[in-house]
Amino acid sequence: MYPRWLWPLTALPGVVWLLLLFLLPLYAVLGVAFGNVDPVLLQPIPAWNPADWNTSWFTHVLGQLVPGNAFWDVFVRTCEYVGLSLAGCILIGYPVAYFVARHASRTKSLLLILLVLPFWISYLMRMLAWINLLSPGGYGLRFLSATGISSVLFHLGVISDPSNYLGGQSFTVILGLIYGYIPYFILPLYASLDRIDRSHLEAARDLGASPFRAFWHVTVPLSKTGLLGGAVLITLPMFGDYYTPNIVSGAPTTSMIGNQIDLYFHGGPQPTIGAAITILLSAFLMILMLYYMRTIHRASREIPA
Amino acid sequence: MSQALAPRRESEFGYTQRLRGWLGNHWGKPRFLVLVTWSYIVWSIVPVLVAIQFSFNDSRSLSSWHGFTLKWYTSTNPNIDSVFHSAELRGALEQSMKLAGLDVLIATPIGVLLALGLARWRGRGSGASNFLMLFPLVTPEIVAGVSLLLLFSQLLTFVPFGTVAQLLGHVTFSISYVVVIVRGRLFSIGPSYEEAAADLGAAPATRLTRVLLPLLLPAIVASAAIVFAISIDDFVISQWLSNGANSTTVPMEIYDATRATPQPSTDGIATVIMVITLLSVVAGVLVYRFFTRGESGRGSAIDDVAGFGI
Amino acid sequence: MTFHPRESRGYTRREALLRAGGAAISLSSIPGFLAACGGSTPGTTSTGAAGGWPVGPGGIPLARASHPVTLKRWEDPIASGMKPETGGTFTIFNYPAYIDPAVLKAFGKKYGVTVKVTPFDNIATGVTKLASGTVSPDVTEMTPDQLPRVVAGKLVKPLNLDYIPNLKNVWPGFQSPYYDVGSRYGVPYTVYSTGIAYRTDRVKEDIPNLKPNPWDIFWHSQKYTGKVALLSEERETIAMALLHRGIKDINTEDPTLVNRAVKDLQELYKICSIKVGDLQYENVPEDKAWLNQAWSGDMLAGYLYYLPNKQTGKLLRFWNPGYGNGPIGNDLWCVCSTTKKPVLAHLFLNYMLDNGVGYKNFVDFNGYQPPFNEIQSESLIKKGVIPETLASSVLTERDFGPKALVEAGLTNTGESLWQNGYATFTSGA
Repeated sequence: MYPRWLWPLTALPGVVWLLLLFLLPLYAVLGVAFGNVDPVLLQPIPAWNPADWNTSWFTHVLGQLVPGNAFWDVFVRTCEYVGLSLAGCILIGYPVAYFVARHASRTKSLLLILLVLPFWISYLMRMLAWINLLSPGGYGLRFLSATGISSVLFHLGVISDPSNYLGGQSFTVILGLIYGYIPYFILPLYASLDRIDRSHLEAARDLGASPFRAFWHVTVPLSKTGLLGGAVLITLPMFGDYYTPNIVSGAPTTSMIGNQIDLYFHGGPQPTIGAAITILLSAFLMILMLYYMRTIHRASREIPA
Repeated sequence: MSQALAPRRESEFGYTQRLRGWLGNHWGKPRFLVLVTWSYIVWSIVPVLVAIQFSFNDSRSLSSWHGFTLKWYTSTNPNIDSVFHSAELRGALEQSMKLAGLDVLIATPIGVLLALGLARWRGRGSGASNFLMLFPLVTPEIVAGVSLLLLFSQLLTFVPFGTVAQLLGHVTFSISYVVVIVRGRLFSIGPSYEEAAADLGAAPATRLTRVLLPLLLPAIVASAAIVFAISIDDFVISQWLSNGANSTTVPMEIYDATRATPQPSTDGIATVIMVITLLSVVAGVLVYRFFTRGESGRGSAIDDVAGFGI
Repeated sequence: MTFHPRESRGYTRREALLRAGGAAISLSSIPGFLAACGGSTPGTTSTGAAGGWPVGPGGIPLARASHPVTLKRWEDPIASGMKPETGGTFTIFNYPAYIDPAVLKAFGKKYGVTVKVTPFDNIATGVTKLASGTVSPDVTEMTPDQLPRVVAGKLVKPLNLDYIPNLKNVWPGFQSPYYDVGSRYGVPYTVYSTGIAYRTDRVKEDIPNLKPNPWDIFWHSQKYTGKVALLSEERETIAMALLHRGIKDINTEDPTLVNRAVKDLQELYKICSIKVGDLQYENVPEDKAWLNQAWSGDMLAGYLYYLPNKQTGKLLRFWNPGYGNGPIGNDLWCVCSTTKKPVLAHLFLNYMLDNGVGYKNFVDFNGYQPPFNEIQSESLIKKGVIPETLASSVLTERDFGPKALVEAGLTNTGESLWQNGYATFTSGA
């Protein structure tokens, strides 16, 4: 129908752009991570040729990435924060997406608009909103203590000071992460739940499955792609977050791996260490991504669309 | 003992039963889900509304209300950093708008072309290109920021930091969103319209411009709106590639303020940028509706928005 | 001459590579500094050509009060008697909120330029941004310990003091300081000491009289959890932990001492959920922090500018460790190599040393005093500019005597040691 060369040609500008400004930069990080540092200006001197690679920075970082050392602790904490935030997103997001997809009828358009709304509001503004709420005398702080939520959280040991949510509480950081990322999780999940053919469920119910069994054995597996897609869409960026803990906490005890990268790149004699951590983080996320793709691939084979 | 307890237990049982029954509500909507959903929506939106409220606060405080004022937006008093008259805040607004506008202009055409190519090109390299396109969607921003910083400081040193570098960064991480949305539309259109046009004797160029392009327009509009929003929202890439005061964007301004003492004008600038984004989205949705009128199925922009990423 | 900023700085990639071949820092040198143990005087760490005395960047000997350093001019200063450039923008690279916008406006008006400030988070970030070419300002704020680096890297230009007659206004010792004999590259901006800022309505201890020393309060601040913060500067935090142990060599490159200081800092996580940041001048007056490591200008800045109301001003205190007991330092102004307005840049340095301008900048906004002969705490208190409770924030030249504890330059291995220590602390591990 069209000349054969047409489609590769239309793809060309985009592919070249991504090669030049996405892939090449990643190589630049590699070059820096395996390079040296200019002793005067402390600027990296990248090693472009793998034969010249200096692995000492890498081994230094790896050496710190064993239990008991600094990077390990930060890495574990990052994983905890991301894991708990993801769990929070699922606990809140799944019922919401499920309800809007399956049960909302008259209000569906309105609900969808409200679900999408935060997506269009700047992440930083939404964090700023929490600073307003949780500052001394803020509405949120007053609400939390008036309803007794603060004291419950305090007695559960979730927060160490019910009047100081911004004083280096892991709880606040996780709350910030959930609040910031959940819109990106709900939308794909909603889309996949919305796509489920009702006849599958009706069939299950006709065959005698309880509503819960039908939900567990039909709806959940069918929404797996959306669930995983949403999870990937939020966990990977969360692993690189450094601004959320900076904004809502500012304490070393809530710093994430991104904060360490930030530190090493912003001055001092070892930008190479920052680059090495970046590479390791990317490699780790690549593994998560490959796992996701394999699962999706399998799921699409198990459940023919 | 047990006899004395029995009736109470029964009533307790009855109470929880009733609560469960009310929440479960087998005959209508499950009220538990209604409760969760609306709580979530209130939780997700009210903090932002409070932030907007305090941009009109007649005091420096962001936690106690002292009456309504517009001074944080319009004051020309040099001691008040108002959104429209403080050189810093206005500069940030302009920089954000400039980057977002240029990003839309560059990333949308490149993304549309790439989507066409990736959807229909079956030769060697197409698989790898597909793969390459997906990765910017899931790359943490700090990796993006670091890698572009090193690229422009070590390899492509002719690229100056500031607006140019920031724009290149924004475009790089916008293209993939355009591709995903446009490609989705391409699949849902299918090849039949073009085949029909070909049967009727339309030349390839005519089919592209007179058949395919109009059909893709809604997706193009939707992706332009998304690119605009992504660019406005971006903080990390802008920060890492900034050259200082001349290239500060609104999110950078907000970030700096949150680490110090945010003022009502910080809420104000965030509100302004939010209104601009929402207006552009509404415009996008209206245009989308206009172009998809009469199409069967639930072709709302929201479904396209909701559908990306999977 | 239309150079790209990154070309015009004169320090080429080739030079960098040559240097890298010779003495690039790589971790292969880490075993070196791990092995270098013991001595806390600089003499026992890496030494260079300067007769056994340790050298910093570019082979420049590390400056100490006992070892003044004359920096070599890498190019000729601009000629005398030229007219200042006008029009366009004039960019100042500085800490955020560290210069009075009104002063800048007046300067811009006087010389017909638009003055802009590009802020940096801390001095190391600033130097990195200058070096990588991400910024190209006209003048930059600088600290003495980083001065050799920016001179060796040709990031700042040698000065022609003919344009800066106001240098006579500063304390005699600062007209030709030990780190830059003859003021060849910089002129002083402010002086400060590092101490503790606190609020008397929140903190009940008598901090200045604490035993064994007031720094100890941080390790006994359980009841102020979440309201305690340190400066986000690696030199300041680790130096504080050293002083807390009674170690006065705050330029030590001894890994045992530095690592133990870091361990001490890590204890603060549990004790008070310690925070780090550089916003003490706002956070203490605003009640967001009660006990905060701070510079001497911070509470004056807080009092003069950020105070919610004057009543709170009486609650603010600054404990100044005093001569020879705590870190003390000064900041400089330098002319950047990237400037297209070198004459105007010189005039800016002169402008900031004007008695009236420097005073206005100090009391109207900044809170950090310029080392001017004219400025004394007694007269400031008498005039009602500052409260007596904050008199300890004002320094005299005597504070910079031979026993002063100055955070001076380190060797590159020393910097790596301190940076890794600080990274460990901020990791929250």
